[in-house]
Amino acid sequence: MSERVAIVGVAQTVFSPKRPDVNYAELAYEAISLVLESTGLSVEADIDNAVSCSHDIWDGQTISNIGITDVIGGHLRNEEKLAMDGSTAVYYATIGILSGEFDCTLALAHTKMSQTNRNIVNNTAFDPIYSRLLGLDFTSAAALQAQRFMSRYNISEKQIAEVVIKNLANATRNPWVHNKGFYTLDQALDSPVISSPIRKMDIAPDSDGAVAIVMASEKKALKVTDKPVWIKGVGACYDAHYLGDRDLSECYALRSAAEQAYRMAEIDHPRDEIDLVELGDEFSYQELLWLEGLGICGSGEAADLTCRGFTSFDGALPVNPSGGLLAGVPTNVAGLNRVAEAALQIRGEAGDRQVGDVRIAVAQGHSGFCGQHQCVIVLGRE
Amino acid sequence: MRKNVAIIGGGQTHHAARRHDVNQVELVNEAVRAALADAQMTIDEIDSVLFGNMEFFEGCHMTDCWLVDGSGAYGKPGLKITTGGTVGATIVGAGVHHVASGLFNKALCVGFEKQEEGDTGAILSGVAHPLFGRSLAGAAVGYFAMMATSYMAAWGAKEEHSAMVAVKARQNARKNEYAHLKLDISIQDALNSRMLSYPIRMLDMCPASNGACAMILADEKTARDRCAKPVWIRAMDTAHNEQFELDWRDVTTKKPIFSRVSASRLYRKLGVDDPSKYFDVFEIYEPATWAEMVWYEDLALCRPGDGFKLVENNMTAIDGPIPVNPSGGVLSTNCIGASAMLRIWEAALQIRGDAGGHQVVSKDIRRALATAYGGTNWTVLTALSGTMDD
Amino acid sequence: MKSAKDNVELISIPMVVDVPYRFAAGKYMTRFLTELRDNGKFYGIRCPLCNRVQLPPRIVCAVCHVKNSDWIELGNEGTLVGFTIMYLPLTDPTTGKPHEPPFAYGSVRLDGSDSVIDHFLNVEPVVEHIRIGMRMKVALKEREDRVGDLGDILHFDPVT
Repeated sequence: MSERVAIVGVAQTVFSPKRPDVNYAELAYEAISLVLESTGLSVEADIDNAVSCSHDIWDGQTISNIGITDVIGGHLRNEEKLAMDGSTAVYYATIGILSGEFDCTLALAHTKMSQTNRNIVNNTAFDPIYSRLLGLDFTSAAALQAQRFMSRYNISEKQIAEVVIKNLANATRNPWVHNKGFYTLDQALDSPVISSPIRKMDIAPDSDGAVAIVMASEKKALKVTDKPVWIKGVGACYDAHYLGDRDLSECYALRSAAEQAYRMAEIDHPRDEIDLVELGDEFSYQELLWLEGLGICGSGEAADLTCRGFTSFDGALPVNPSGGLLAGVPTNVAGLNRVAEAALQIRGEAGDRQVGDVRIAVAQGHSGFCGQHQCVIVLGRE
Repeated sequence: MRKNVAIIGGGQTHHAARRHDVNQVELVNEAVRAALADAQMTIDEIDSVLFGNMEFFEGCHMTDCWLVDGSGAYGKPGLKITTGGTVGATIVGAGVHHVASGLFNKALCVGFEKQEEGDTGAILSGVAHPLFGRSLAGAAVGYFAMMATSYMAAWGAKEEHSAMVAVKARQNARKNEYAHLKLDISIQDALNSRMLSYPIRMLDMCPASNGACAMILADEKTARDRCAKPVWIRAMDTAHNEQFELDWRDVTTKKPIFSRVSASRLYRKLGVDDPSKYFDVFEIYEPATWAEMVWYEDLALCRPGDGFKLVENNMTAIDGPIPVNPSGGVLSTNCIGASAMLRIWEAALQIRGDAGGHQVVSKDIRRALATAYGGTNWTVLTALSGTMDD
Repeated sequence: MKSAKDNVELISIPMVVDVPYRFAAGKYMTRFLTELRDNGKFYGIRCPLCNRVQLPPRIVCAVCHVKNSDWIELGNEGTLVGFTIMYLPLTDPTTGKPHEPPFAYGSVRLDGSDSVIDHFLNVEPVVEHIRIGMRMKVALKEREDRVGDLGDILHFDPVT
């Protein structure tokens, strides 16, 4: 990229299973006011536009960005909503700033999963004519993907459980999340089966929360902070909709998105050049599959890599030191939280979950069941 | 904007109340194929697909994911954007940002709605806050009815004036092969149509349509190499209005509101003094007759309170000095997620001279202004030109 | 485009999507609804910068981008700023049932507020009986019937 775009501020709410004390606008404002406060920026003087990620059906409001117009500074100004994972807010904000139209963008993602029912909501993402009547939801679709992935590469439930154990242990270092602890392999494998092979502990739990990020052009960024986190590369791609059209053990869309992002970031050897990965482990097996899609290892190799400690907190390439989505991060907010965590690591501000010196980090987010739409963001210190 | 961006192709479906012959994927695909054919391009040449509609209007979560086969997004980067009624124009704005960023050369923008597959009235009432006003929300009709009573009380306009707008739209639509409501109606027909919500009658409101629109945006080099008649996007401006203050229903308000703020910003960017002379044609988003007259005033085509006089004097007729909605506008076709894009596409067709039966022929069309409308009073304005020289 | 006259069978699948919600009113609306339910009073909230009094109370003044702070008791009378007579049996999304037409409803600016509130008008649904600028008074349900939502307001009565 000839012009450069940076993240200049990051804020998140505490993620909890239920926030009955706030509506979603108030929840979003917790993150927005924090990020403005911490950067010293004002909506009036500094922010040119806003990009938000949410879904009408989760918010329970038609055109649900109406609900955040006031708190995001949308009145008489530009606010665009993507009905996608939060990672796409960073993707699109980057494009907007590169276009020269905007200098400084506020990106937001919020969701209150507690106010409705994820199975019903997610069932409506299946096409109404062919697949919806089967009663599929994201968990049952994920179970099909997990089964295919595990059988193709001979991956055991124990290997998948290692992801759960690692991420929930990592989460004990993260004050923002609610699902954490030191578990044994037996405990993970004793967790009740929801849709085989997926157990309760393999699923990111329902959570309420919001993340806000401020992004800026190079010129603006250097005025705002002495620790800009540069967007080195972005990529996105859609896979096919019908599960029967896909080999679910492949991640075609993620490979394409990662390739775009790496090309832009001039990364030739992701495994060697990347210091940290934050990815969307909505289900535990996805951490393995997405690592392969991100080119960190070959197909079917991520399980072994994980069991060898390569992706552990103090491993060669820490993956989800924050605890990931399994630690309790709301859907949609998921990808923006991945970017936020990666940015905090690069800034050296990740607190107890800081893994050391992080120069290049990758954040991944996905929308739709079995990761149909994939988005990859490469972040760097230089 | 760092790079110049042009519309190098576009297409639309034949809009209709019933399209049981196609599912949503197939409907969208009709517009996408028309746009590719118009641009003489294949889907393989498209770098990114920007897609949108009214979220959940058809009872589907993540329509972008289901419709990848129809939109051509499979295997490509892309985004799903939803900003309510303005979304068609917001998608075009996203396409402009994509191309101007230098990361993409050819962006496909797709907007659609298949209104017959959901309950639009109930879902539009869901625009209201769930705990404040939703139980008695009157959908779009009730809102525009209050605007109308305010307009009549403030400026002395009569129901006849809204009837004139209703007739102009449907008579223009008869010249547009793609329009939904092609009605050979008179002012008396409009005044006799069924009362929905005083003073809004059936013919004062937009229909619920099924349809799609697609456009291809490109960078300057591609546009010049590949397109005989590129239409340049000269400026865009977006303004949303706050959640609870629905200012358009009090037409006498002196507050800075979305429509006027956005128009004045856009005019400043382009150096426009008199928009009624600067632009040769207007395609505006008028879900109700009364909104068209308020748009005239907020776009400064006339003084506040004089909008109804423009209609009375045929100023905005297809052969008038300020042609507004020669296509028949939203009053004749409202497939919501496509409607704002259709305004831009129709404006582009006028500049190309390709609008067919509803081409404005009384004057040379070089520049056009398209508006979008949605949300709780949100707009996106788009200024188009046949040249880069202005 | 093919039409029915082509005599091809077209299948369409009826489906009702029923999503349950439980909405948090939030800090500001909770206080508003509690005052309405328990004391029959309307409260707006004032922006510390521009001083406009907003109804319903909300966290941020969208114009000034600051947190609203001062609670203001409003009158239970106000002025009609817009109205309509509805002839459509529109679906009430909170019950799924239609409202019986025709009925009048309008926007009333309560005394002391810069915002308006929409509700039914208890007047004969005839244009001649309704005038922008007329004074209106809130009619509430009895205390024991009020539950803490906007349905606690029955309608607006004309002030005679």
